[in-house]
Amino acid sequence: MAHRKAKVGAVQKRTGYGIIAVLGLITIWLLFQQTRFNPAVLVAMRPPLLQGRAQAVSGQTLVATAALLPEVPGFKPLAPTESYGPENLSDKIDGKDELYLPAGFKEMSCRKFNLDTAADKTFVEVFIYDMGSAANAFAVFSGQRRPGSPSIPLTANAYATGNALFFTQGRYYLEIVADRASKTLPGSLEAYATALLAKIPSEGGQANPALLFPKEGLAQDSVRLLATDVFSMEGLNNVLTGEYHLKSGNATAFIARRDAPDQAQAEARRYLDFLAANGYQKVQTPAAAGDISVLALDNSFEVVLVQGRIMAGVHDATSVDVALDLAAKLRPALKERP
Amino acid sequence: MKQPTDEERLLSVEMNRRDFLKRLGYASAVALAAGGAGLALYDSKGPAISRVQKVLTGLGDYTLRGISSGPGKMAIVRGTDRALMFARGVKALGGMESFIQKGDRVLIKVNAAFATPASLGATTHPEVLAAVAGLCVKAGAAQVLVTDNPINNPDSCFEISGLAGAARAAGARIIAPRAALFAPVSLPEGKLLQNWPVMAGAFQGVTKVMVVSPVKDHHRAGASMTLKNYYGFLGGRRNVFHQDINGIITELAQLLKPTLCVLDGTVSMIANGPTGGSLSDLKETGTMVVSTDPVAADAVGLELLGRSLADVPYILMAGKAGAGQADYRQLNPVLLNTKA
Repeated sequence: MAHRKAKVGAVQKRTGYGIIAVLGLITIWLLFQQTRFNPAVLVAMRPPLLQGRAQAVSGQTLVATAALLPEVPGFKPLAPTESYGPENLSDKIDGKDELYLPAGFKEMSCRKFNLDTAADKTFVEVFIYDMGSAANAFAVFSGQRRPGSPSIPLTANAYATGNALFFTQGRYYLEIVADRASKTLPGSLEAYATALLAKIPSEGGQANPALLFPKEGLAQDSVRLLATDVFSMEGLNNVLTGEYHLKSGNATAFIARRDAPDQAQAEARRYLDFLAANGYQKVQTPAAAGDISVLALDNSFEVVLVQGRIMAGVHDATSVDVALDLAAKLRPALKERP
Repeated sequence: MKQPTDEERLLSVEMNRRDFLKRLGYASAVALAAGGAGLALYDSKGPAISRVQKVLTGLGDYTLRGISSGPGKMAIVRGTDRALMFARGVKALGGMESFIQKGDRVLIKVNAAFATPASLGATTHPEVLAAVAGLCVKAGAAQVLVTDNPINNPDSCFEISGLAGAARAAGARIIAPRAALFAPVSLPEGKLLQNWPVMAGAFQGVTKVMVVSPVKDHHRAGASMTLKNYYGFLGGRRNVFHQDINGIITELAQLLKPTLCVLDGTVSMIANGPTGGSLSDLKETGTMVVSTDPVAADAVGLELLGRSLADVPYILMAGKAGAGQADYRQLNPVLLNTKA
């Protein structure tokens, strides 16, 4: 059979050329885009998890704290609830995450409101941090305690400043912050706090850590729970401290409860070694008896003692007398609470 | 004679089985070749950054001629009226016209890190931004741009802090972070800033840079002022640098030489920074620093916070790295009091 070549019409040709031209343009565009490819952008714009709305922590469980933020009459939400986990807490609070993360932070939710019952619109933001335990919540609460701010009977650990409330409830640390102070503000903030507390599951009574310290000379609201690297010693964690102003001078008392007596003994030895490595010298005093060790560097005095599962002592006393005086007060207080 | 139409031509073509198979063969060969070439050229790892795009080594030197070689200028202004304090401070340094010329495109870096109102002191105060941007416009700037990369909902940060409103009122434009603005930057001999995304695109066409910062306590860095404000140029998961906060701020200080720095310590956040929250975290320190030297400005700010250079190591480190003078008295600062 004779071979006949197919003929192509002008329209077909033009259509073909058109398609080839479009493909060519796409190729040029692709080559141009590839020259501008910027892997850094992938890093820069990688969306963090949990930002801006309630999502899943680690892709598993929903953010529980978001559900605890109530809607209260008078508080008009300005935005959806935002939630953050350990991996992106710094997106919200920047370098302050270094306070929360070592203290056992689990998750945080917050929401902005306009308080429109006030004379002018007051901006209010509510934060609820799940710290995993009541002790951890107290650590971040006490670590940010504003000096001179009065305690309020909202919970066992609660205080107010001119524009805000700060308190703990169980394993939660909570802040209700307004952008201004006013006469009517405290009542409004407490109304929100009450509604918030009603939604937080009860976890039994809360111990007040200040009760562990002898009362005489203890500065009001000075008790702190320091979570990590206390007194600059790496690994010295979870230590309660209280500031004292005694007639003989000033000092800080500290109490660290451990799981077993031998752990408390080991921790005390490690702390004494740390002090010695930093130039502290042992001080011989007739009053120092038994397992009390007294050390000094320049005009700063330290006392370390162990009582059962508790390592305790005096830090940065202004004289040997105040160090021994406070240690003498501390020991019976520890005996009462083994 | 009538010419056959395209349709008639097509219909007149008879295709036998051989033609069909040949064409099928050609088409398959082309498809296979294209697919094979794609497979052969496919790079699952993606190109290395340095081979693909020129990596920047800094954000630029925007210092005025004559200042870059000698000691910087500084005015320390006491008072409570931010606009007046800035006006008096910049006048003492030669007036805004000595920093901004007609046609300049000015970039103002603010601290808009948090979506909190200005009264809480966590961000650059909008009154200072308005004063700086306003004088730039008055001096003849062709365009005034305001930027920061707050990560957490930038639009909300600019609006709630009042910075967006202040910028609009002064005739400035906000540059919010977006993907196209970021480019990889490597500081020569830098240990941390290697191929890291930095908001270099905001500097496109910019001729002058001003850094306007609040004075704040900072839980990790000790203080957040001018140099820590540079942190807001970084993209990516920049919180990894918190482990070496002094190192990263020192390297950031070497990335950029601004035209002028304004450090607003009219009210300073002296505790619980950088977020604060309570008005009791703030203290009226009644001071504004206007300086060409960011390191020296921060050294003054430290005194407002009641801290020493030993408490905040990055200031001395940045000074040693050549970013400025940690001993601000070497600049012979002009001391002014707007209340007098």
